[in-house]
Amino acid sequence: MIDLIVIGAGLAGLTAALTAAEAGLRVKVVGKGLNALHWSAATLDLLGYTPPRRAPVREPWTTLPHLSLTHPYQIAGELRMRAALQRFLNWSQAGGLPYLPGAVEGENFMLPSPIGAMRPVYLAPYGQREGDLSSQQPLLIVGFDRMRDFYPHLLAEHLNKQGHSTRAVVLSSSLITQRSDANTVQLAAELERREHQIALGGALKSAVRPGERIGLPAILGLDEHTKTLEALAAAAGAPVFEIPTLPPSVPGLRLTTVLRSLLARRHVRVEIGMEVVGVQVEDGVVRWVETATSSRPLRHTASAFLLATGGVLGGGFQSDHQGRFWETVFDLPLNVPQDRSQWFRPLFLDAEGQPVFHGGVAVDNQFQPLDSKGGVMYRNLWAAGGLLAGTDPLQEHSLEGIALVSGAAAGEAAAAALTGGRQTNEAAPADIPAGASAAKTPQ
Amino acid sequence: MQLVETDILVIGGGSTGTGVAWDAALRGLRVVLVEKRDLTHGTTGRYHGLLHSGGRYAVKDPQSAVECIEENRILRRTHAHCIEDTGGLFVVTPEDEGEYPERFKAACLKVGIPCEELPLAEAFRREPMLNRRISRVFAVPDGSADSFLSTHATAQAASQAGAKVLIYHEVIHPVVEGGDGDRRVVGAVVRNMVSGEEFTVRAAMTINAAGAWAGKLAAAAGIEVKIIPGKGTMVAMNHRIVNTVINRCKMPSDGDIIVPVHTVAVIGTTDEKVTDPELLRIEPWEVQLMLDEGDKLVPGISRARVLRAWAGVRPLYQEGFSGQSRDATRSLTLLDHQERDGVSGFLTITGGKWTTFRLMAETTMDMACKQLGVTRPCKTADTFVPGIEQGHYWLGHRLHEIEEHRLQGSLVCECELVTRSMLEQAALKNPTVTLDDLRRDVRLGMGPCQGGFCTYRAAGILHELQLAAEPAGTAASLPAHAVTPAAEEPWDVAYLQSPSHSRQEVGSQSAPAAARLPAASPALLLRDFLQERWRGLTPILWGQQLKQERLDELIYLSVLNADHLPNAGDSSPLTEFWQFDTTPAEAHKTASETATQTAGEVQP
Repeated sequence: MIDLIVIGAGLAGLTAALTAAEAGLRVKVVGKGLNALHWSAATLDLLGYTPPRRAPVREPWTTLPHLSLTHPYQIAGELRMRAALQRFLNWSQAGGLPYLPGAVEGENFMLPSPIGAMRPVYLAPYGQREGDLSSQQPLLIVGFDRMRDFYPHLLAEHLNKQGHSTRAVVLSSSLITQRSDANTVQLAAELERREHQIALGGALKSAVRPGERIGLPAILGLDEHTKTLEALAAAAGAPVFEIPTLPPSVPGLRLTTVLRSLLARRHVRVEIGMEVVGVQVEDGVVRWVETATSSRPLRHTASAFLLATGGVLGGGFQSDHQGRFWETVFDLPLNVPQDRSQWFRPLFLDAEGQPVFHGGVAVDNQFQPLDSKGGVMYRNLWAAGGLLAGTDPLQEHSLEGIALVSGAAAGEAAAAALTGGRQTNEAAPADIPAGASAAKTPQ
Repeated sequence: MQLVETDILVIGGGSTGTGVAWDAALRGLRVVLVEKRDLTHGTTGRYHGLLHSGGRYAVKDPQSAVECIEENRILRRTHAHCIEDTGGLFVVTPEDEGEYPERFKAACLKVGIPCEELPLAEAFRREPMLNRRISRVFAVPDGSADSFLSTHATAQAASQAGAKVLIYHEVIHPVVEGGDGDRRVVGAVVRNMVSGEEFTVRAAMTINAAGAWAGKLAAAAGIEVKIIPGKGTMVAMNHRIVNTVINRCKMPSDGDIIVPVHTVAVIGTTDEKVTDPELLRIEPWEVQLMLDEGDKLVPGISRARVLRAWAGVRPLYQEGFSGQSRDATRSLTLLDHQERDGVSGFLTITGGKWTTFRLMAETTMDMACKQLGVTRPCKTADTFVPGIEQGHYWLGHRLHEIEEHRLQGSLVCECELVTRSMLEQAALKNPTVTLDDLRRDVRLGMGPCQGGFCTYRAAGILHELQLAAEPAGTAASLPAHAVTPAAEEPWDVAYLQSPSHSRQEVGSQSAPAAARLPAASPALLLRDFLQERWRGLTPILWGQQLKQERLDELIYLSVLNADHLPNAGDSSPLTEFWQFDTTPAEAHKTASETATQTAGEVQP
C-alpha cells in the first residue's frame, strides 16, 4: 500500500519523494519522461535576478522580502528554504556529488556560461565550483574541434571583455573519442576511460600556463565524475572545472542519477514512461490516478498525491490555438490570461519576461493547490515545482531553487498530514543507510 | 561623394529585381543592383512557395494564367534545382458547389494548362490526409519553389554575367535632373547600411523593382504610383501534411492553398489591404482563419503543430483601381514613366508574382533597351542559372547525402540538416551581414526549434571564421573595409544546399575574406536572429510549439544568460529592422526604450 504518489520525476518531484520517504512514508513516483534537469546547467540557482532582469542579485536572502507575496519562496518562508537547502547539501554529499557554496556563504557567485556571460548561482556542483569568477585567477578554456556545442574562443572573448583574463584552446576530439557524432553524454562516458584521461591530461599539461585554471565543457565523466575530474587536474597540474553545455546536460543527468539512487535506497520506485491520463476525485479527495502505458491504463491508488509535473516546459501545462491554457492532470485553476494576444511581449529577451510563463497553480502555505475561491482544492493533494504561480523561474534564475524548496516543503507537509504531524523532518546524514559511499570533500 | 557609373540601376533585390539584373547583364549591359537588406528580404522571401500552373487564375484572370503556365515551363528548365515537382490538385469541397469546377476545367484547357480530372480513389491514394468529402479532383502542373535559392541563383548568374549586386545598400533618393516637361532620372544616391558610406550611382536607365515599396520610391522621384499593398498571412505546419500543392477549386480566396515546401506545409493566404508595406503584424484572426480554412482541405490540420506565421505584402497595381486587393489583377504591370509622367530614364515594374518574375524582367528590359536604342534580344528563357545539374529538388536529398558521407556529427541545425561546412561555405561565398542571411542561404533555424540550438552554434562558428579572417595580431574588431560586400567577386550559391558538396569545398580556398563575414559581434548576431525568429513565433505559440519555445528560453536565459553578455544591448545593422517589424507603432517605442535601458544596466 502506497501512502504518497508523486506525479512528476523532476527535481521537485524527486525532492518531494525523498523528503516524504525520509519522514517515513511509502512513496512511489510516476513520471512521463526524462526531466528538465537534462536541459539545465544543474547548478542550484536560488534567485539570480528579480524582475526586471537586469543587475544580478548578490544576496538572495536579503532580497526575499521584496518578492511578491504569492512567490513560492514567500509561501515557504526562510526557515523552510534553509531546511530544504540543507537537505540538498546532505543528499549531494551522500550521493557522492557534492554541491558547494561560493566564497561568501549565503551569497550568490558568478560562473561562466557556455557563451561567456556570467551566471549568478547559489550552490554549484563540485565540478563547476572552480569557475568562480570572483577569483582573479586567469582561465584557459579548452574545447574540442568536433564538438558543436562548445566554442572556447567565443567564451574567452566575452570573459575578457568582462575583465577576466582568459585564453582559449581547441584540441582534437580524437584525444577522447573516435566517434564523429558524439554528444555530451557519449563524450562523458568516453572520458571515464583511463587512456582517454591520459591523452587529454597530457594535452592539457602542454596547453596550460602556470597559474591558470582550466575550464572544459561539462563532459568529465558520468558516474565516475569526481575521479575523472581529479585525474585530469593531476595530469594537467592545474585546477580543472566544468562549464555547462547546451542540452543534453551531463551535470543534470548526474544529479538525477544521484537522487534516484538515494530514492532506491529508501525503496521508492521511480516509474518513467507513465503519463497520468485520468484521475478520480470525490468528496474533495483524490482517489486514484490512471497512467497510460503501452498495453493498458494502470490505476494507482494512494492516501495522498503530490503534483510536480512542471509548467509549460515540463508538460504540466498545455494550451491550444483557441487560447485555452490548462493544467493537464487535475485541471487546476491557473492564473494565465485566457487570451493569446496577452501572452507575449514584442521582445524575445524582454527584461520583464513573457506574461504567459508567469502564471501557474496557486497554493496555500502547506503547498496545497487552491480553488478559484481560495479554498483547498483536494484535501489530499499537494503541489511543487515549475507549475507554481507567482514566478517565472527561468527569468529569475530560480529554477532549481523553487523546485527544491517547494518539493521539500510539499513533501514535508504531505508527510505531516498523513502521520498526524508526529514526524519530524530531520534528514541528517545519519539517515542514509549504511553502505552509502561517503563523498570525498573537495577543496 | 564616390560615383559609380552604369547602364542600368536596378532598385530592389527580390525575384523581379535580380531577374532584371540577370536579363540586362546577359544583354551585355553594365548593371548595378541595390537592395536595402538581404536578397529576398521583402515579399519574395515571404511568399508561400507556389510555382503556379496558372489554374488559380484561369477563370478570373486568363492573362495571368497564360503568363503562369508559360513561365512555369521555362523556370522548370532555367531554375530546375530551385523547384520541386510536386504537382498540384484542385479539389472541390462540399462548400465549393455550383458550376465553378466545370468552368475551371474549360478555362484551363482554353489557356493551355494541362488539367486532368482524377478518380477520387487515385487522389486519396496520392494524398491520404485530404478531406474525404471532396467530390472532384483536378491535377495540374503546379510545383513548389524555393524563392530564397532561386533569387540567389539568379543573382549569381547576373554577377557572373558582370552585374554588381549590392545588398544592405539603401536608396536615399533618386537623382532627378531637368525641369518641367523634361525631367530625367539619372540614378540614385545609395547608402551602405552597414558602413554608413554613401555614394551616387549614375545610370542611363533606373529600374524601380522595389515591389511593395515601389510607390515610395516613385514618390521620391516626384511620380505618383499607387501600389495596392495586399498583405498575405501564411502559416507553416511542422510537417509536410501533403506532398502535392492543394488548391480549393473555387474563386481565389483566403486560406485556400496548401503548399508543401521543403520540410513544411504552408497554408496561405489572407489578402488584406494595408497602408504601409512594413506593417507586417499578424492578427490572431488571420492565423485562425488559415487553420479553419485548412481544416476544410485536411481535416484536423488546425490541431497539428504550427511552426511559424509570417506575412508578405503583394505589390499589386491597377491603374485607377479602388476595390479590394483580392480583386486586383495578378498580371504584371510595367509603367513607362516617360510616356505616363514625362519623366525619362525610369521604369517601374510591379504586380505579377514569383512565377512570372522572369517574364517581368524580360518585359522591363525590352522597354529599357528600346528607350536606350539597344537591340539585343532577351536570353534568360534559354540560359540556365548555376546549379541546375542537380535536378529538381527532392525532400530527402540532404538526409541522403548526410547518411552517404556520414556527416551526422557535423550537423549544426538538426531540424533542417545544415552541416557546419554548409554554414561556413554560405558565410564565405556570399556577403553575410546577419544570421538571418544564412537562414535564407541554407535554412538555418527554420525547423521545429526555430533557432533554439543552432543560433548559439552559428554564432560560435561565425566567430571562429571572423578570427581566422583577421590578420595575426590585430584586435578583435574587423577592419573598416570589411563592411562593404565585395561585389566584384561573383557569388557562389549553386551548391549551398548540398551537404556533401560543401564538405568537399572545405579547405579548398584561401583564408576567409573578412569582407564577406558579418561585422557585427557574435552576441548581436545571436540576439538579432533570436528576435527575428520570435517575431514569427508569437502568433502561433501554443501547445507543443510553446513548450519548444520555453526550452529555447531555458537555453538562452538560464544556461547561456545571453541577455547579460557584454554589449548585449548595442545597436546592430538589424536592430531598427526588427524593432520596426516586430511591433506596432505604439509598442515600438517601448521596445527601443527597453533595449536602451538593458544596454546601460547589464552588469554592475
